[in-house]
Amino acid sequence: MNIWEILIFTIIKILIVLTVMLLTVSYLVYFERRVSAWAQNRLGPNRVGWEGVLQPFADVLKLLLKEDIVPNVANKPIHTLAPVIALFVAFTTYAVIPFGPTVTIFGYSVPLVVADINMGVLYVLALTSLGVYAITFAGWSSGSKYSLLGGIRSSAQMISYEISMGFSVGGVLLLAGSLRPEAIVESQYGWMWNAIVQPIGFITFLVSAFAETNRLPFDLPEAEPELVGGYHTEYSSMKFAGFFLAEYANMIIASAMIVTLYLGGWRFPYLENFGLSSTMFAIISVLTFCIKVAALLFFFIWVRWSLPRFRYDQLMNLGWKVMFPLSLVNIVWVAILIMVFKF
Amino acid sequence: MPKLVIDGKEIEFKQGQTIIQAAKDNGITIPHFCWHESLSVSGNCRVCLVEIEKMPKLAIACSTTAADGMVVHTASEKALGARNAVMEFLLINHPLDCPICDEAGECKLQDYAYSHSVGESRFVEEKNHKDKRVPLGPYVMFDGDRCISCSRCIRFCDEIAKDPELTFVKRGDRVTIVTFPGEELDNPYSLNVTDICPVGALTNRDFRFKARVWDMSANKTICQGCSRGCNIELWVRNNQVLRITPRLNEEVNSFWMCDHGRINTFKFINAEDRVDGPQLRKEGALAKVEWEEAYNFAASELKKFSKNEIAFIGSPFATLEDNYLFAKFASSLGSKNIDFIRHTDSSFEDDILRKEDLTPNSLGAEAVGIKPGKDGLNLEGIIKGIKEKKIKALYLIEDDIVAAYPELEEYLANLDLLIVHATNFNKTTNYADVIFPAATYAEKNGTVVNFQGRVQRLKPAVSTVETDRAIDGMSMSRLDKFGTQYDKWAQGAKYDAKSTWKIIAALSNVLGNKVKFNLAEEVFNEISKSINSFSGLDYDVIGELGAKSKLQTSEKIVNA
Amino acid sequence: MAVKKRKNELTFLERIYIVEIIKGLSLTLKNMFKPKFTMKYPEEKFIPPASYRGRPVLVMDESGEERCVACGLCSRVCPALAIEVQAGETTREKERYPEKFEINMLRCIFCGLCEEVCPEEAILMSKDYELAFDRRSDALYGKDKLLVPISQLKDRIEFLRGYK
Repeated sequence: MNIWEILIFTIIKILIVLTVMLLTVSYLVYFERRVSAWAQNRLGPNRVGWEGVLQPFADVLKLLLKEDIVPNVANKPIHTLAPVIALFVAFTTYAVIPFGPTVTIFGYSVPLVVADINMGVLYVLALTSLGVYAITFAGWSSGSKYSLLGGIRSSAQMISYEISMGFSVGGVLLLAGSLRPEAIVESQYGWMWNAIVQPIGFITFLVSAFAETNRLPFDLPEAEPELVGGYHTEYSSMKFAGFFLAEYANMIIASAMIVTLYLGGWRFPYLENFGLSSTMFAIISVLTFCIKVAALLFFFIWVRWSLPRFRYDQLMNLGWKVMFPLSLVNIVWVAILIMVFKF
Repeated sequence: MPKLVIDGKEIEFKQGQTIIQAAKDNGITIPHFCWHESLSVSGNCRVCLVEIEKMPKLAIACSTTAADGMVVHTASEKALGARNAVMEFLLINHPLDCPICDEAGECKLQDYAYSHSVGESRFVEEKNHKDKRVPLGPYVMFDGDRCISCSRCIRFCDEIAKDPELTFVKRGDRVTIVTFPGEELDNPYSLNVTDICPVGALTNRDFRFKARVWDMSANKTICQGCSRGCNIELWVRNNQVLRITPRLNEEVNSFWMCDHGRINTFKFINAEDRVDGPQLRKEGALAKVEWEEAYNFAASELKKFSKNEIAFIGSPFATLEDNYLFAKFASSLGSKNIDFIRHTDSSFEDDILRKEDLTPNSLGAEAVGIKPGKDGLNLEGIIKGIKEKKIKALYLIEDDIVAAYPELEEYLANLDLLIVHATNFNKTTNYADVIFPAATYAEKNGTVVNFQGRVQRLKPAVSTVETDRAIDGMSMSRLDKFGTQYDKWAQGAKYDAKSTWKIIAALSNVLGNKVKFNLAEEVFNEISKSINSFSGLDYDVIGELGAKSKLQTSEKIVNA
Repeated sequence: MAVKKRKNELTFLERIYIVEIIKGLSLTLKNMFKPKFTMKYPEEKFIPPASYRGRPVLVMDESGEERCVACGLCSRVCPALAIEVQAGETTREKERYPEKFEINMLRCIFCGLCEEVCPEEAILMSKDYELAFDRRSDALYGKDKLLVPISQLKDRIEFLRGYK
């Protein structure tokens, strides 16, 4: 493949991924509202279109038509920049996540990942930690005490949980011996999912992912009872929608990362042994990936409507005194696996 | 001074006073229905029963003469028991039709039923039925069921109106009130019986079912019916005057006022023919214009005439302030032809309240300068001048010269300029070139001088386009306080009218004579400074009851 | 007052959260499959009980006349000043009737005080709750909209008599 062909395929892949992402994000909002309604014995939005399927478009239209209010005391450039950062980080992170095996199209061998780079996991960690800037900027530039408190909480929370997250990933990297997401997926052959091999690491990563995405029970940056809307108190219209979309995009990334790192990625256990054609194999693999991610997304929503929010000190206690040591224990466990059981 | 003790409070009284009067003078109210300060004692309602120490039985406070050293209990167990019993007795045959009754809200029986009654009736039998809806006269409606036979109305006709027309007939629980055969309750003071009736037996036919008393605001002002200047209250709802009641002023009208004042002096305020906004005659027809345009037109037209060609006619219906600035305005134009129209009717006068002079302020108008200057024309001269076309411009405020001098009608068209300040369209405005809408007495602040030389205050009760009930200190009902522009009750008609003095002041300013007054009070302060008769007076001194000026009055002051 | 004592000491199982979290999750999961309470409003209509306070109406008795005598007590007691009554005179036995009776439904707060104060049982709270207007003037309900035949208000009258 020459450089032009690579470019064209990459652009096509980017477009596909972006479209799927945006659609998923908007339907995720709808899905969250329906699930929350079911959990509370309600029906949820069911008026716009059949069973409310057009609700996301109605929501977007509403947000587009809203007045964009910027507080007088706000730092306007940063106030505008913050949601852009949030969206940028949310969408670019997805570049390195593989959603299927390498397929052959028109004679070209195309890996189903936008950018197959050899330090993909680091890239994800780096970008997600950039996401904290969006929230901190938003909180600081709004010129509101609620926003500022939300921003501060967010940065503290993200930094704390990034440590346990990083150490949890460490276990995966030790087993895979590579930073390439493709390699990590390859390493989880059959049922040797990292979630089963190193359950402690899986749990710490899962919990940290909740914290990183600011989802309940760790949504302190936007805790409504105390902070009105937290860092996005002073946002309206499409800027608010930016944060809104970023939060849900982050959920998808977190789910995709968990699937890739711990749940075997796009792999359907032992699918290679069924002797399928390569096209079928690819389709089932992509579907598997999608189903896994969808299940995790449902889990995210399910947790939100089941658990109460942590107190700030509890959050910090959990992060530093429980999650961090546990992730260290996980590394030791993986080390033992490798040294003693010769994994 | 002798003293007695009521409910532990020692009070002084004048020899010969009754207990109830002595108590009232000291601010203690003993419940009463039939007793009235200005009427003879009847003593038939029995609700004023009080316990007096060393007396074997309870005594009625209204006919027991107070004595030195008396100890009276109005709220002892015995007195309260008796009062409750009397109330129960009165309520036995009183119908429970407060929802229909106009008196509800200002009914003594209703009030006492709350404050002095047990609140339940043991009377299960059918109540007595008497005649309902009996018109006793042109203005008064009688409801026999509601009457508690206190005889106040009978005594009023006998003693105050001096025209016995009413009497009791039948006996016991069938007693009722009728007019004497062949008579009607049509004395000129008949409506006062509706005020003194403690229940809803006698009601005002003119006001019947118009409004609930609690929906109206009561605005203290002065009657415009004659030069007596009775102190009155205008009852306003929806920015409309609905009735007039007298207000106690011992110096002027005591508790009373005449039917003429009560019925005929407020309907023009909300009449269809009110002048709303300044009017200019354009191509033969009157057209509503902006104030500025009217001022400019009037000023430029007035300049066209020499001082002997203009005549000014003030008004005994207008306030001191209006007439003062009007006289000043006339002299600033150099004119000495100024006078006002006198409205008198000797048949109207009686020796109770009504006066021959049918205007509220003729004494005041003259005192502030509405009289011909040296060599100036008086009213007769002006009329003659108009007829002989020597007077080419006439400036008339708040009066109808055609109605007073019908023969003048054909000559008014000859005038080159006729400026009129009018509240309502009338025969004179038919010929006017400029009409300035004048605020009625119910819409402005000001003062009038009655026949005694007493200066009394007019206060606004109805708001115009430029005034606001709250800002201009008018009395406010609950509806006024909480209504918004979207509520219909707050949307009573408001006319675009101004006090005459305000119009004159604005016109003077257009003509280049700086006249700077913002309030009627400021005009009055200048009057009291510049005119000796009014020196020492201001709005605070005048207050609600008025104050004597130093004007010489031809008539003796007759107390009602 | 019974004070529920708070458990200070959590067991180890509770302290590691996991079991409790699973308990909580299973509870919400169970609820997701339970029947829903939501009423699909425009298709399904709520039929209120007799105690419901919908829009106030005037009672039209069997003879087709209003019971109201325009005493103005409802107007006086109305905390929102929604009611305006103008009385007039009739030749009927009750000599007074409402020439104009207007309720501003934008002001009405459905407190039912007018009904409670009415000495003639002439104003009642109906079951009508569908009150949407396109313009302010539509919200001024005159006698034409307020008068309702007594046959439609029987259960409210019965309900009120049970409590008076």
